[in-house]
Amino acid sequence: MGLYVQLLVDGLFLGGLYTLAAIGISLSYGVIRIINFAHGEFVMLGSYAAFWLATLYKLDPLTSLPLVVLGGGVAGYLLFRWVIRHVLEAPHLNQILLTFGISLVLQNLAVVLWTGDLRSATSVVSYAAAELGPVLLTFSRLIAFVVAVLLVVALLGWLKWSELGRATRAVAQNQQAALLMGIPIRFIYALSFGISAALGAAAGGLLSFLIPLSPWMGFPLVVKAFAIVALGGLGSVMGAIAGAMLLGLSETAVSYVLPGGSGWAEGVSFVFLLGILLLRPRGIYGQALEEQHR
Amino acid sequence: MMPKARVKAAAWAALAVAVLAAPALGSPVLNDWNVRICSLMMVALSWNLTLNAGLISLGHSAFWGLGSYAALLAANRLGAPLPLSLLIAALAGSLAGMGLAALTGNLRGIFFAISTLAFSEILRVVGLMTPDLTGGAEGLYLTPGLRPAPAVVTFAVALGAVAAVVVCAGLALTRFNLACRAMRNNEDVSKMFGINPLVCRVQCLAVAGGMASLAGGLNLWHGGFLDPLVAFDLHVTVLSQIAPLLGGIHTLVGPVVGSVLTVFLSEGTRIGLGASGYSQLVLGVLLVVCVLAMPSGVVGLWRRVLARRARP
Repeated sequence: MGLYVQLLVDGLFLGGLYTLAAIGISLSYGVIRIINFAHGEFVMLGSYAAFWLATLYKLDPLTSLPLVVLGGGVAGYLLFRWVIRHVLEAPHLNQILLTFGISLVLQNLAVVLWTGDLRSATSVVSYAAAELGPVLLTFSRLIAFVVAVLLVVALLGWLKWSELGRATRAVAQNQQAALLMGIPIRFIYALSFGISAALGAAAGGLLSFLIPLSPWMGFPLVVKAFAIVALGGLGSVMGAIAGAMLLGLSETAVSYVLPGGSGWAEGVSFVFLLGILLLRPRGIYGQALEEQHR
Repeated sequence: MMPKARVKAAAWAALAVAVLAAPALGSPVLNDWNVRICSLMMVALSWNLTLNAGLISLGHSAFWGLGSYAALLAANRLGAPLPLSLLIAALAGSLAGMGLAALTGNLRGIFFAISTLAFSEILRVVGLMTPDLTGGAEGLYLTPGLRPAPAVVTFAVALGAVAAVVVCAGLALTRFNLACRAMRNNEDVSKMFGINPLVCRVQCLAVAGGMASLAGGLNLWHGGFLDPLVAFDLHVTVLSQIAPLLGGIHTLVGPVVGSVLTVFLSEGTRIGLGASGYSQLVLGVLLVVCVLAMPSGVVGLWRRVLARRARP
C-alpha cells in the first residue's frame, strides 16, 4: 500500500515539473503553429542561469527564479524577433530544421562555454524531507511541484482574464479574424514565444536543484514534452497538463515496478509518442488541430 | 564542344573513379576522410530521397544504428564476411523502413517527423536495455580476426557511395520519382492521378532505409566498435539533414557536394580548434544560416549565378 501511495506522490511531482516543461511547447504551437525543437535548450539555459547565480552570487535557486524567468522571457522574445520570424510562412521543413539548428547552437555554445561536466546547485530545501506515514516527502520536489503549479495557474489565469491573454487565445483560434479585430498578431506571436521560453527557463531553474545539469539535458526533455503535448492534443493547455500527469505517473510506475525500471522508464515517453501519433494524432482532448493546421 | 550532358556524365564518372581508386594509395588519413565523406553521402542521399516524397525524417540514426547492429551481429554470431553482413544490414534497414512507412500510414509533415524521432529514440532505449543482444552500455567489439585491411573497408564504403549515387540517379528517371514529387506537392491531388501514397511511401522508405543502414553497416567495419549511444546517436540524423540542405535539397548533386563540405567544415573545426563542441556548434550555425539565407543550398546559389551570367 505504502509503495502505491509513494508512487502516486512521486508521479504527481514529476508530472508537475513535466507540465511546466511542456506547456511552453503547447503554447507556442497553439499560437504560432511552429514546433520548437529548441525549447529544451531554454530549460537547459534556465538551469545553468540558476546554477551560476547560485555559484557566483550565492543566490538560492528559488530566490533567483524570477530573474531566470524574466531572462528566459526576454531571450525568447528576442529570438523570435530576430530569427524565428523569418520562417513563419516557410515550409515545415525549414521551420523544423531552423529550430533544430538553434537547439544545436545553444547546446554546443553551452559545451564550449561551460564544458560538458555535470553540475548541480543546492537550495535551502535540498536536504529536507518529512515522513508522512508510509510516504517520504522530499521537500525540494514538493516545493518545485508547488512552484510549477503556481506558474501554470498564473498562465491559465493570464490567458483567461487579461486583455493580452484574450488576444492570444483569439490568435490561436483564428489568425485572420484576430487580425481583422485589430490585434497585433506579430506582437502576440513574439509575446507567446517569450512566455513559452520563460516557462521553459522556469522549469530549468527548478530542475537545477533536483537533477544534475549538463548541456545535453534539454533535448530528451523536449522529446518528452512532445509526447506530453501529443497525448493531450497539440495546442491544448489543459491537455498538456493531463498528458504530463499521465507521463509522470507512468514513468514512475515503470521505474518502480519493472526490473531495471529506470532505464526502461526513459522509453515510456517515446512509446506514448509513437502510439498516440499512430492511433489518435489529435490527442486525448481531440481538438481538430490537424485540419486547422492546413 | 561536347554536349552538356556528356560533360556531366564524364565528371560523375571521373569522381567515382577517383573515390574508388583512392584507397589503393594506402594513406590512413585519406582513407579516414574518404570513409567519412562517403558514408555521410549515403545517409544524405537517403534523407534527400525521403524528403523528395515529402517525408521529413528525423530518424535516420535509427536506420544507421539498425544497420550497424545487423552487420555486427551477422559478423560476430554467424561469422558472416563483409559482403554478406552488409547485405543483411541493408535488408534490415529496408524492412525497418517498410515497417515504419506502413506503421505511420498517412501521418504528414511534423507528425511524421516526430514519429521517426520517437522510433529512433525507442531503438536507443531498447539497445541499452538488452545487453545480451547489444552489449548494453558497455558496447560490443567486432571480432578482431574478421576485419579485412583498412583499404578494403574504405573501398567498400566508396563503392557503397557510388552505388547510392547510381541508385538515386536511376530512380530520378523513373515514374516512381514523379509519383514521389506529386506526393510531395500535394498528397490528396496525387491520389487523383492514381498514385497510392502508402505504396509510394513503403517503396521510398525501403530504398532509403536500406541505403542508410548500409552506411551504418559499412561504418561498423570501419570503426569496429558499437554501443547504443554511438549507434543511435542523433548526430547522424543532424548530419544527414545538414549535408543535403547545405548542398541543395531535391537535387542529386546537392547531397554529394553538401557531404563533402559538411565533413570538411566539421572535421576542419574539430582538428583546428580541438575542443569538443566547436564542430557541432559550426554545424548548428550552418543549419540556421542555410535555412535563413540559402534554403536552396550551394547548388541553388550556383544556378542563380549561372542564370545571371546567361542573361544578356
